Amino acid sequence: MPVRDIRVYPDPILKQICAPVDVGDQGVDELIQDLVDTMVASGHSVGVAAPQIGDPRRVVVVDVSKSKLGRDNNHGLLVMVNPVILESEGRTTMREGCMSVPDYTGNVTRAASVLVQFLDRAGGEMVVNASGFEAVAIQHELDHLDGLLFLDRVSSLKTDVFRRKTY
Amino acid sequence: MSNFALTIIGRDRPGIVSQVTEILFQLGCNIADSSCSILGGQFAMILIISHPEKSSQEDFEQAFAPLEETNLSVFLRTLKPGGEQRLALEGELCMISVYGSDKPGIVYQVARELGERQVNITDLNTKLIGSPERPVYVMMLEAVLPPTISLEELETAMDELKGTLKVDISVRSISPVEL
Repeated sequence: MPVRDIRVYPDPILKQICAPVDVGDQGVDELIQDLVDTMVASGHSVGVAAPQIGDPRRVVVVDVSKSKLGRDNNHGLLVMVNPVILESEGRTTMREGCMSVPDYTGNVTRAASVLVQFLDRAGGEMVVNASGFEAVAIQHELDHLDGLLFLDRVSSLKTDVFRRKTY
Repeated sequence: MSNFALTIIGRDRPGIVSQVTEILFQLGCNIADSSCSILGGQFAMILIISHPEKSSQEDFEQAFAPLEETNLSVFLRTLKPGGEQRLALEGELCMISVYGSDKPGIVYQVARELGERQVNITDLNTKLIGSPERPVYVMMLEAVLPPTISLEELETAMDELKGTLKVDISVRSISPVEL
């Protein structure tokens, strides 16, 4: 169950739209284990998407339970196969960074809560309502499956209060 | 490879960035970090540039002459080796908002409290808003706390300043989330 290297931009796999996992895909459990191992090995990481370890399938793992921001509001380790966001609500802005884009961070506005549907590790249908940091982490990881990096979502240049015209 | 810090300021109008970067491109300069913004009616550009061969100020003077002719002020600073590299800033990143009716010394007195505590300001913006009769001063700054001081301690210091300066100040952590 190897820890895999995190792919770093400009690796083209990070800009690729990933393929849904087939029902009979036997290799997906191995991929899930690699994702979990890689997430744990990278210390403070709260999620990894399959393309970040070089696999273009729609699988992510998210676990914010060990982080300060997500400690009190989380679903533990979420293994998400073929995840889809059904509903999103509210807006929240965080300064995001990404292991695949080292040395750069940016303010990203995302939904404050999301209702997400996916298959779990055992292939069971799941629907989870996530909010707070967990919701942000899920949206960030799901973006990877569509070839989107947080750089595509940056909403403002640092201090954005001055960017607005006077009325 | 020689590194320089290039500062260009002039009355804002469309085309300044294009004019400047065309010259840099034709000289064969690389632009590394840069930040450009409108302040008042002025457009200000600060760029860290490098060139594989050119190493003296004179090498650039002639190329920048057209900028001066269009009323842009150009200043080139030669960097010592390593001067282009940012020091690793370890510590909590925080955002400090300061605002209140305009009076002399707001920036200085806040900055003094931070400087005394070795808090490193990484970004600072100020703007005068409100009406001419009731001007309001707004300052937003981002700073990295040294390991020796906690966010709570900084908040306490800023709370004291709030009273003496009669302005509102809030401090919050904006450390990036690694995803």
